[in-house]
Amino acid sequence: MRHNKTLGNNPARKHKSNPFKTALSVIAIGGMVAVSQLTGFITPAHTAEIPADTLNSIMWKDMAKTYLLTEGHENSKIVMDESILVHAPKSAEDQLNIPVHVDARAIKDVKKIIVLADLNPLPKVLTYMPEKAEARLSFRIKVEQGTPVRAAVLDGEGVWHVGGAYVDAAGGGCSQPAMAHGKPDWVSSLAEVRGRIWRQSGTDTARMRLSVRHPMDTGLADGIPAFFVSELKFRSRKGKHLGSLTIHEPISENPTLTVFPKLQDATDAVEVSGRDNEGNLIHVSIPAPVRSSLLTEKD
Amino acid sequence: MAIGAATGAMSLQAEFIEHAANFLVAEAEAADFTYDLKPMRIADNSYLIQGKSEHFSRQNGGNIVNVAFIATEEGVVLIDTGPSRRYGEALRKVIRSTTGKEVVRVYNTHFHPDHVLGNQVFGAGNIAALPKTISGLETTGEAFSDNLYRLLGDWMRSTEVTIPGKPVTFSSEKFGTHRFEMLPMSGHTNADLAILDHKTGVLYTGDLCFLDRAATTPHADIANWQNSLKQLKTVPHKLLLPGHGPADPADRAIEQTSAYLAWLESELIKAVKDGKDMLEAGRMEIPAKFTNIHVVKEEIERSVAHLYPALEERYLPLVGQGDKQTGH
Repeated sequence: MRHNKTLGNNPARKHKSNPFKTALSVIAIGGMVAVSQLTGFITPAHTAEIPADTLNSIMWKDMAKTYLLTEGHENSKIVMDESILVHAPKSAEDQLNIPVHVDARAIKDVKKIIVLADLNPLPKVLTYMPEKAEARLSFRIKVEQGTPVRAAVLDGEGVWHVGGAYVDAAGGGCSQPAMAHGKPDWVSSLAEVRGRIWRQSGTDTARMRLSVRHPMDTGLADGIPAFFVSELKFRSRKGKHLGSLTIHEPISENPTLTVFPKLQDATDAVEVSGRDNEGNLIHVSIPAPVRSSLLTEKD
Repeated sequence: MAIGAATGAMSLQAEFIEHAANFLVAEAEAADFTYDLKPMRIADNSYLIQGKSEHFSRQNGGNIVNVAFIATEEGVVLIDTGPSRRYGEALRKVIRSTTGKEVVRVYNTHFHPDHVLGNQVFGAGNIAALPKTISGLETTGEAFSDNLYRLLGDWMRSTEVTIPGKPVTFSSEKFGTHRFEMLPMSGHTNADLAILDHKTGVLYTGDLCFLDRAATTPHADIANWQNSLKQLKTVPHKLLLPGHGPADPADRAIEQTSAYLAWLESELIKAVKDGKDMLEAGRMEIPAKFTNIHVVKEEIERSVAHLYPALEERYLPLVGQGDKQTGH
């Protein structure tokens, strides 16, 4: 059963006109904010200053503390940077499949791109480390409700550049069982990989699309443990590292990605290796492009 | 420090309450939630209430759908019931004042919420629909309804999903001198009911046809849909009533819907073959013959979300499969 723009736990349903209820929940949220602010003051885990959020997200400071000012980056500078492009629909048609394109090509020497969806129960979407590849990628995510989707880009000097977009959505994308579970034969096609490379005319950059058949269970649907592709690495046939991805639960079922590796010659294939969180391994080779894409740089 | 934080939180609370108050005032000012339904005569004893060629909004209350009624000697036959209880109530009132008669039969053409959420006003027992429309509404109706509450707010007040009580397993039904032929098809959804009134020659197609309003595809199977359109072309009729858009005396709706779907599908296949992702695929150039179709840009974007993953599965080459290590 497909559920397109249909599923929502709408708190307003049948209580729409009760202003007291609204006011009460507003106060409750205010209270929670107060508590989280207090704990923030009591346990300063970092010294870097967190700039105000351009998307006005109530979760931004927690996002920054939990995912950016950590793992050796406790003192990193964070800047809100409009040159980090996050393209996503304003309103999600299908909360299980929201297309996102992150473009950090404006930043020199990108070390790492972290994508976060603040209001998802599991906010971390992916980490991408482009090596011989452009600092951009496309993917699709599921969301539990309307949420900021942001990309934090770490440059060579240890500065986080943060950009984002707000995506409105009906509820429930993370707590639904994958559609695969409705098909009796889903295990036989598990981890099937589809893919193709297109050379982009006039550049050494190729466009590689890749799709892995996988339920990407978040662990939040009743009785279904987390089961998701967790890692993908791209190498040239000669063994050169092109880039690597750590993937998390919010990536949509059958993860479908577009990355932009720099291939030295037209006969290069790309070796993809990866795994899911249960140890199923992926090793496939995506053949070299048979023809140039008609796409221009503009596309 | 703690005091500073507490004060900050207090002012934050005040701000929230102010926002909440503003929101409630804006809600109250937005509309008085009355649908202005004006029946238009389209044939003998037959009327159309034409929806706006728009998306759901808090301005239109979801009045974006065509509803038709036929005043037979035995009572009124109603085709689809609109997006909400309020709409259904306004509909019953305007049917009474136009015909002086009560509704004796309702047909739901398919299970989409803008066509069926006025059902509760007319009583489940009188409502007929294809068996798969009934089961679709049983599984997805509540979710549809939740989504319309989210999109339309108070227009939806007290709306409850009402499941049709009479499966359409018969080939025709007669009320007075009007014989209604049931034409079960699919493609827009997995069960689409077209209805031909043999007395007037009006063909009611539900959302199998759109006219000058872009077709929607959330549950579409394009190949089945094209087959249904071919089949509809062979049904003799004097006037066609699409699910959205004006009544069609000139056989434009079938052609336009078919041409639009064919173009859309071929563009999306081309996009997959060119390596575009979903966002890029949605930026296709719209040919002149479709640019005047209402909400075409928005619907293309939605259709990419509905149709693209399956096309990728079909047109991205299979390159291998991972090794399964676990019990899965």
